[in-house]
Amino acid sequence: MKQTNLAVVLLLILTAPLRAQGYLLRLDGRVQSVAYRGVRLDSIPLSAVDTAASGALYSPDGYAVACAPGGTYCTFYRPGSSVQNAPAIVSADFTMWGLGLPGLSLHANARAGGDLVGGPWPGTEPAVQLLEAYARFQRDWLTAQLGRQVRRGRLGFTGFDGAAVGARAAHLGLSAEGYLGLGLARGSVLPATSDLLNPFDEFQPTMRQWVAGADGDWRFGYGDVHAEYQREVDRDTHNFVSERVGVTASLHPIRYFRVDGGSEYDLASGTWGSSEIDLTITPHQRFGASGGIRQYRPFFNLWTIWGAFSPVGFHAYRGSAWVRPVGQLELHASGEHYQYEETFTSTALVSVADHGWRWAAGAGLGLGAQWHTALNYHAESGPGASSRGWDGSISWAPSTILTLTADGGYMERPLEFRYEQSNLGWAGLYGNLKLNERLRFNLSGTWYGEDRQRPDASGFDWSQTRIIAGISWLMGSGADRLSLPPAVRRRESR
Amino acid sequence: MRRLGLLLALGGLWTSAALAQETPAGSPHFDHWRHRKVFPTCLTCHPGAADPSRPFWPKPEQCENCHDGKVEEKVDWDGTPPSRVSNLRIKHDVHAEKFHKKYGADSTQACMSCHSSPGAAWMEVRRAVPARCLDCHGITVAHHEAPDSACATCHLKLPETKFTEARIAKFPKPPSHDAEGFYPGRHHGELAEGAKGAEGKPYAVAPSCATCHARDFCLQCHVNAPEVKAIQALDPDPRSLAIEAKLAAPASHKDPRWQPRHGAESRRDKAACSTCHTQQSCLACHRATPAVAVAMYPAGPGRGVGARIQRKPPSTHVGKWADEHARVAKSTPNSCSGCHARSECLECHRPNAASADAYHPAGWLVRHPAAAYSRQTDCAECHNTAQFCTDCHVSSGLRSVGNLLSGQYHDAQPSFRLGHGQAARQSLESCVSCHAERDCLTCHSAQSGRHFNPHGPNFDAERLKKKNPQMCSACHGSNIP
Repeated sequence: MKQTNLAVVLLLILTAPLRAQGYLLRLDGRVQSVAYRGVRLDSIPLSAVDTAASGALYSPDGYAVACAPGGTYCTFYRPGSSVQNAPAIVSADFTMWGLGLPGLSLHANARAGGDLVGGPWPGTEPAVQLLEAYARFQRDWLTAQLGRQVRRGRLGFTGFDGAAVGARAAHLGLSAEGYLGLGLARGSVLPATSDLLNPFDEFQPTMRQWVAGADGDWRFGYGDVHAEYQREVDRDTHNFVSERVGVTASLHPIRYFRVDGGSEYDLASGTWGSSEIDLTITPHQRFGASGGIRQYRPFFNLWTIWGAFSPVGFHAYRGSAWVRPVGQLELHASGEHYQYEETFTSTALVSVADHGWRWAAGAGLGLGAQWHTALNYHAESGPGASSRGWDGSISWAPSTILTLTADGGYMERPLEFRYEQSNLGWAGLYGNLKLNERLRFNLSGTWYGEDRQRPDASGFDWSQTRIIAGISWLMGSGADRLSLPPAVRRRESR
Repeated sequence: MRRLGLLLALGGLWTSAALAQETPAGSPHFDHWRHRKVFPTCLTCHPGAADPSRPFWPKPEQCENCHDGKVEEKVDWDGTPPSRVSNLRIKHDVHAEKFHKKYGADSTQACMSCHSSPGAAWMEVRRAVPARCLDCHGITVAHHEAPDSACATCHLKLPETKFTEARIAKFPKPPSHDAEGFYPGRHHGELAEGAKGAEGKPYAVAPSCATCHARDFCLQCHVNAPEVKAIQALDPDPRSLAIEAKLAAPASHKDPRWQPRHGAESRRDKAACSTCHTQQSCLACHRATPAVAVAMYPAGPGRGVGARIQRKPPSTHVGKWADEHARVAKSTPNSCSGCHARSECLECHRPNAASADAYHPAGWLVRHPAAAYSRQTDCAECHNTAQFCTDCHVSSGLRSVGNLLSGQYHDAQPSFRLGHGQAARQSLESCVSCHAERDCLTCHSAQSGRHFNPHGPNFDAERLKKKNPQMCSACHGSNIP
């Protein structure tokens, strides 16, 4: 499989300039260097354990230990040796058109890389990852795609290897699409059968699931309505992996007002999934606000047992506002309060919060065309963990090709179920050099200083320094497209 | 003293030069009023006004009859017609003939009827007075409010004139051009295409337009110039660019709802968009969906540059947009794809392992528990929880090892293992980032352990059994109730 992916990517890259009348290729290389303290599982005989006045058990050198009932030894984690990681990834995003058949184009998006030092780093395996690779045929009313593709919609990002066919009646604002293929795992470019997706050695399907679905859109003068249906079926047992429907709408019936909302329904469990409705008001270019309510409900595939544990969701109301009172000054604030549904559990010995909140506020100030500063504060409290802290940044763009940014912040994060408060401070420098519209370099370094407070010796920190370097090289025959700014803002605008 | 003399001399030279610039060397102007008692008829000097075969201007000998240097001082008139530039299509002989037919051949007022103000004395002449022209031609409105069909009666098309660009730039603007909807708007086009002649025959382009404008003028804005017959009916003339036209967005484009609506509007009325927008104009933003620009004309010769679009975030992308984009993106995925290629979404939604600067703020590693417990956003939208969360938790010691009852991690809640139900149902996704299914089945299994029932009161066993009985068999074996 790895060899096939690599061959497809190389074939597309190498043959493109020779045959295609038009192509666009962006190569993006990044490498990150991280050094931090590792952990090491240790154990001591039960007889060597000390007992504190509170009844807590400790190793002679001060580590809280866990002793299994009836066991003869106790375990604990102690600081390990320093761990060095250097994940390096090269990405290629490729589009080719003008293949002799009007409307036909080829698309590929792949990554290759690994950890240069050798330690495990999340996301670096397998070495070659094919995010998308498909042929697309588009005519005025017809669209067809064949290959690996990632669909996004109300039900999230769905990856599969297969085909999608769509049609639209542009004059009516109607469009519909259906798709069928072998699915990828949720949030991954790997199939659910991959060993890399099973670090706990849990239940896992033996065959890739079928994924099929259809969606429809209606765009009219005052908004959009989108509905979709999706099912996943285990090819081995023919059982459902999931079956859901979703609907969303975005309406802007009155000037300055916009309503966005949507909902999901899990046909397998018979429950309403995550849903929300928001009202956004932008009466002026210098002021805007939005508010709404949402429900969150976790979703699990049916080849896990987690849905049988009756997980509950929460209901939240939220709001946000921004204002530009003068010049390049922007103030923004947002907040959310959430309340979990009744869990129908009896936990007399354990107190668990059933609600929480979070808010944030900040300001951004531009000083002429070259300087921009930002200062933000956030606080959140809820079941499991809380955090509060501030961060700030200052950017200097002495020319159109160079941007330098310095940022820093401080944060406190206590946990609810564990004795551990982490106090973190950080400072970083970031440079972005855009030599021309095709070639960009960036380099950043961030120092994190952490202080973990625990009543025993295992409050060791994860202080670290991260250095990230990147290069982005765009080449292609679509010269008219090269001067576009990136649609996704990178760190310098944070 | 010598310096003073030099300064005086230079000053004198400068003054002389300045005066020379202000005083014309010689003016060809003929003072008709001073000659009012000499000439009883205009035709004495301007015989061509009635007979095109004869010269329009007097011969020098005629002037020298008096201006011989003895009776009157000599004048430097040599008979060369003055280089007066005009856009009038006047034929004096035709006018004279019609006048004489109407008022009699012996009338001496033929010339004065145009070249003087009403009630003026004999020889109190001036250049043609437009109001007198309009009176004769039966036009009762002001000069620049005359109907389209009337302009060509007196005026040449701009390319037929010899006006300089400076002169063209000073053309007075008719009041109609200030009317609402004239520009920006369709009204100017309707007037250009809708003019009709005296017999009701439509003009290819209104003569009122052609009098002051040429095709090049229209190309300042009109991308669809080759397709507009009225524009093609105008002759090309680069001098027409002396009148500057600036492309202005229609009022509809200023509505904050315009951006989300413009796609539907463009499908409804493609012609309207292609007036000002080229394909390249659309592609400035729609780089990911170039097909939307098919209906537009590509930029090229004979077309206006059109609207120059700058790619910038829409009005919704303000404040902490990254945190809020999900609800809008889910509601209107097609709107996103208008500007964003899917690969841009995947930069964050399928994170690059070597990059730490995409979505989350700095320090997220420490901060993430609070956001993850209560799912500030849906982590699984971007992260496979097994590959990303669990993998990292395992390598950092956050996994259940050995006997579950050891309770090593939850040390702030000594009885957590006995009272974890509420926390588990509230944040089950967080639990499974460290716990395997077998951890839970230690107690929550119908076949072994403590047989604790994990199902809540609203658990629809029949439905789930119907969809996937294998899920039930994990705890119930083959004895599914």
